[in-house]
Amino acid sequence: MTKGNTVSKAEVLQTAEISQTGEAAVKSPAKAKVATKRRKASYHSKRQALAGYAFMTPWIIGFLILTAWPFFYTIYLSFFAVNYTVLGWNTDFVGIANYDVALLRNPYFVPNLISFVIMQVTYAPAITVIAFILALLLNREIKMRGLFRALFFFPVIVMSGPVMNQLMDSGTMTSVAISDMVLLNMVAQFSVPVANALIFLFENYSVVLWFTGIPIILFISGLQKIDGGILEAARIDSATAWQILWKITLPILRPIILVSFILTVVQLASFTMNPVLPMIQDAIQATTSGLGLASAFAWVYSLIVLLIIGVAYLFLKEPKYIVPPEIKMYKKPGV
Amino acid sequence: MQGFQEFLNRPKMQKFRHIDYTNWAVYVVLILISYQFMYPMLRMLTMSVMSSDDIINPVVNWVPTSLSFGNFATAWGVMNPSVTMVNSIWFSGLLAVCQTLVSATTGFALARFEFPLKKFWFFMILSSFILPLPVMLIPRTMMVFNIQDTLGVQMFGTIWPQTAMALGGQGVFSAILILIFYNFTRMIPTALDEAASIDGASSLQIFYHIILKLSVATLLVVFLFSFVWNWNETIVTQTFMRGTGIPLIPQQLSQFESVFANFAGAAQGAEAGLEQERINEAFRMSGTMISIFPLFVIYLAVQRHFIKGIENTGITGV
Repeated sequence: MTKGNTVSKAEVLQTAEISQTGEAAVKSPAKAKVATKRRKASYHSKRQALAGYAFMTPWIIGFLILTAWPFFYTIYLSFFAVNYTVLGWNTDFVGIANYDVALLRNPYFVPNLISFVIMQVTYAPAITVIAFILALLLNREIKMRGLFRALFFFPVIVMSGPVMNQLMDSGTMTSVAISDMVLLNMVAQFSVPVANALIFLFENYSVVLWFTGIPIILFISGLQKIDGGILEAARIDSATAWQILWKITLPILRPIILVSFILTVVQLASFTMNPVLPMIQDAIQATTSGLGLASAFAWVYSLIVLLIIGVAYLFLKEPKYIVPPEIKMYKKPGV
Repeated sequence: MQGFQEFLNRPKMQKFRHIDYTNWAVYVVLILISYQFMYPMLRMLTMSVMSSDDIINPVVNWVPTSLSFGNFATAWGVMNPSVTMVNSIWFSGLLAVCQTLVSATTGFALARFEFPLKKFWFFMILSSFILPLPVMLIPRTMMVFNIQDTLGVQMFGTIWPQTAMALGGQGVFSAILILIFYNFTRMIPTALDEAASIDGASSLQIFYHIILKLSVATLLVVFLFSFVWNWNETIVTQTFMRGTGIPLIPQQLSQFESVFANFAGAAQGAEAGLEQERINEAFRMSGTMISIFPLFVIYLAVQRHFIKGIENTGITGV
């Protein structure tokens, strides 16, 4: 051990000497070599950057013109009265009048917004939980797995606003009359809002299920990537399936839960079934005069969607595991 | 559970012991949930062949007293698929081609090159997915109005606004498509690129001859997703295609009632008021079935690829 150490040390010293002498003796060629290397590297990275941006160009242009600028411009517009005249767009500063109309005077916007929030708060967690349970079931070694998976994914393909509206208008989405149930009446005795939320959830139970298509696939592929060794170790330590689920599977899948939750929120937000979106759309259709108000609608709506996503992120992001001080204290004498 | 095990250990129960009861429970749960999943579809299926009498008959629940396929004939007339469906197919196809191309180049750039602000752009792609559509839609509308006025060309009701959006990578769920492509490109070994670039290939040649040719399956998946999502998209389409010369099938479906009224009125005029059809669920469901039929066929054909595509987005951790 010691011998090897000294040898290596000597070698290092030798090589260092050589390099030093070499550098001292023939200074210019070595430096030139380094310089060319550097130039080559910078040439390479420049080429990389150039090619990268060349391929990114369509997206970046599209993003700047069609997404980034409109996003800020909508905020700007929401403080203006926007009129379409013969000469083009005419904007007059009106302060917070649009927000005043949207939030205080319009009789439909705030109630619709509230029912949208209720929809998000009840649907999105329900969808995520159901998708997770279905993924757990489908991850087992069962026959016809492919068939079930295909069946659960099918709604993703056919789900569109008009189709859903037709199906809901024809009453095909409600298989049980939840409001007649005794259990619900019992719940309603204690708290009416909870009962309302339950009615809301179960009335369109199939709709809730139809949004689980993509999350199920995400969860299954997440479950299959969990290292079998960890589960085996837990089983050897006599952990029950329930404990494994809560202490191992769920913490590992935490990022996927976050992703599928956000995905669900975004899907619900971009779906014409929700009550606010048709309203904003109508406001946009009143092009000649109503775009200022429409901007205020759209901006408040987006703020709420982003807020929901932000809250979900705070709840579901990877927690920082802080080591309690006493553990450090116990460790010290051992070292 | 303990009690159940003891119960199974009884001599008379020995022959049932080898059955895996947990799996049976799983089957039961899955079948029940599948029923709930498919309930609207099954309802649609039976309702579309019911006669008007069966629809209002409280005794008839699932099985119609007689099959009346005449609903489809009426719904066919209302939906006018020979125009709307053809329009939907080529328009969604066009948008899907544009979207696929742009997500391919963007995914390739992110997967293969190191350039300044790369992380920033990546973050922007993800955040463009989160932002709700209405926020972007208003300035986009104004922009299209401006272009229409300055050029003096009709823009609303044409394919151009949405094609431009698809070409700018801002189409329906573009971020997911880019992620699919990004992740697939990362799975192709870089040695291939390096070998090609040593042989003097430019990055465009590498993109075309190596990446695109190796990812034909991914291109197909991205194209299909894009096609289906563009087909089902209504918010942007309704904003830019209103009062259009290109009627699309989802729009036709959303106007089913008014078109049906016109259609039935015309039929009534022709038959001198013999029998006026009134709209009911049977017609609506037949119309809905016609509108989702092409998607259904696509799904049956390439169902596996769709699921693979979502798995390959890589958002589940590589």
